[in-house]
Amino acid sequence: MSSPFSINGGACVAMVGKDCVAIACDLRLGLQALTVSNNFPKIFQYGDNVFLGLTGLATDVATVSDLFRYKVNMYRLREERQIAPRTFSNLVSSSLYERRFGPWFVSPVVAGLDPKTGQPFICGFDSIGCIDFAKDFIVSGTATEQLFGMCESLWEPDLGPDQLFETISQSLLNAVDRDALSGWGAHVYIIEKDKVTKRLLKGRQD
Amino acid sequence: MDTLVARYSRPTYTQNELFTAQEQEEFAAGSTPNLSLKFAMPPVAQPSAWLRAATDDRSNPHCPIKIAHGTTTLAFRFQGGIIVATDSRATAGNWIASQTVKKVIEINSDLLGTMAGGAADCQYWLAWLGMQCRLHELRHKRRISVAAASKILANLVYQYKGKGLSMGTMCAGVTKEEGPALYYIDSDGTRLAGNLFCVGSGQTFAYGVLDAEYRYDLTVEEALELGSRSILAATHRDAYSGGFINLYHVKESGWEKHGFTDTNPVFWKTKLEKGEFSNVTSDFSEEV
Amino acid sequence: MAMFSQNPLLNGASYSFSEAPKFNAPEGAREHRFDPYTDNGGSTLAIAGADFTIMAGDTRLTSGYSINSRFHPKVFKIGGTTSDQSDATLVLSVVGFAADGEALKERLDAICKMYRYRHGKPMSVKACAQRLSTILYQKRFFPYYAYAILGGLDEEGKGAVYSYDPVGSYEREQCRAGGAAASLIMPFLDNQVNFKNQFIPGSGEGHALQERERHPLSRQEVETLVKDAFDGAVERHIEVGDGLQMMIITKEGIEEVVLPLKRD
Repeated sequence: MSSPFSINGGACVAMVGKDCVAIACDLRLGLQALTVSNNFPKIFQYGDNVFLGLTGLATDVATVSDLFRYKVNMYRLREERQIAPRTFSNLVSSSLYERRFGPWFVSPVVAGLDPKTGQPFICGFDSIGCIDFAKDFIVSGTATEQLFGMCESLWEPDLGPDQLFETISQSLLNAVDRDALSGWGAHVYIIEKDKVTKRLLKGRQD
Repeated sequence: MDTLVARYSRPTYTQNELFTAQEQEEFAAGSTPNLSLKFAMPPVAQPSAWLRAATDDRSNPHCPIKIAHGTTTLAFRFQGGIIVATDSRATAGNWIASQTVKKVIEINSDLLGTMAGGAADCQYWLAWLGMQCRLHELRHKRRISVAAASKILANLVYQYKGKGLSMGTMCAGVTKEEGPALYYIDSDGTRLAGNLFCVGSGQTFAYGVLDAEYRYDLTVEEALELGSRSILAATHRDAYSGGFINLYHVKESGWEKHGFTDTNPVFWKTKLEKGEFSNVTSDFSEEV
Repeated sequence: MAMFSQNPLLNGASYSFSEAPKFNAPEGAREHRFDPYTDNGGSTLAIAGADFTIMAGDTRLTSGYSINSRFHPKVFKIGGTTSDQSDATLVLSVVGFAADGEALKERLDAICKMYRYRHGKPMSVKACAQRLSTILYQKRFFPYYAYAILGGLDEEGKGAVYSYDPVGSYEREQCRAGGAAASLIMPFLDNQVNFKNQFIPGSGEGHALQERERHPLSRQEVETLVKDAFDGAVERHIEVGDGLQMMIITKEGIEEVVLPLKRD
């Protein structure tokens, strides 16, 4: 019950659509049963088309997100170009494995579009950097089981941006409504070739 | 009638026969089986320790049987009677098992009980209490007092102390002799009379709102609103409370139900119309 | 000992006495760990409609990572006058520990049969539901490791589903998923049966948006939902699969259907 992964609570999901991807997270930060904040987004942007969702121990979410901000900035300065989602995923993986015997207590999710081909790209990780490349969806956080159930039954291939938004929103909202430790509102990003739409969802506040 | 009363009113300690005897009685005798006081026990030296290992998810997170917990319930006395309000969420670990639990148990048309802790324990023993209250009425030809009813329950749970029952309940009723009467009973055997109680994982949040606004001379409307608002506050901050607000008003003529209302619309109405809960954003315009 | 266990998840053998006598036990005393439960996995699902109830369950029986049976039903007709249960009116589903589930089913069935014999009419769901609760509570201190769901038609002919925890707390509901994949199926049911988080398109802007009104689903719709729910669960849960057993309770009687599920 007091696993570092479920002290603060939180949920994150990424989905592939037709020439677009979506990533969404809830907004809760709690200390076990006590809800401390209802405005703690878990999605971070690292390039025009590169997004990282982090669930798990909140202190590590903050630290790891800043660590990647630093690493991606250094990459951009050295390479004089933006980082691609696949490159970023490998960076995430190797950075997590550096802490093999004292891991960050986070479960990251990467979503983005390949800058050259525009191909949708999503992947997930365990806390020590094993990459899970998926063609459909990735889930993480305290509501993983609920999210798996929702995504498995609502998702279908080649959804357009609007349908994908509806699918990911319904999946997240209904999943967190069955998890005591996540919810309290949500952020959804729809990432298309040259447009990123961010929306705030009105979720149950209990 | 006397034989009927006698049949149901044997003291508990005389009923420790073997489990199979009861089965035989059930199948052979023409009577309907009842809320009996014979329970199967595990064949070990320390049944309560074994039960704890098998069912208590706080002492053993990998326990196979998860029993529903987590609650906010409250009840308070005021000039117009008693308000009883609860949330409706049942959780097993972090899993929300149900959002529609009825945590106010109607013991009979005059008495209410609330449910916190083990759902089955509360449901079963409050139903049993209803039976005892009816028996009291038949024997004495008048309604049981709340004090007596609550003491029957307190004595019962005290008999089972240490065996693993888990309940935190409030008994509320209004009688001629007592006026509005409110008792808190828990599975440790505690029995307290009082003006105001909140029980469950969200109790502190409910106390916060209730204590700030509570007066004995509240009007009925004010009292109902306060009960509902206290539960709302608790559902917002306590992860293990939520769902619906179950509201009751107990008067001398009996109790009256005031709805089983989804917290979600109530929350947004409270926020948008009264400007409370300013910690929550309500601007859902396209770009954030 | 644990190395050769057939149940790596529970980190111990799946037998009642999994530990050797303790070294520090008092003189002459032999203490064994009393471990009477195994999780046999699987999942069940029940949805009540306007004039019918559908009870469903997968047919796989597991112990740890092993599949012990590919066809072991979890859904049973209850309270018929004969052993083939052809005139039964109620259906019970159980998940958790198969042996406890079986015992519970036998016990409830015997009681319903006796009731029918004495009263000359089948037990109502309401009465049976209350009775099942007390049966489970009789074993409060040595529980049945079984999550039960009882389905039937109420006095008005409407679909009724009663769900239970292992020690007998119960509630009438519109729908309920139980067992290993309950957490995968239940949010889907909230969304598709009770229309949770659904709003009427164009009914307003922002906070003025109207919630979608619930209405009872048709039998065809419910059957599709049940299949979709299990297809999803099979994909993501190792303890669910092989076969989908469905019982459809209507005033005409109980129809039983068994469909294939993925066997991987």
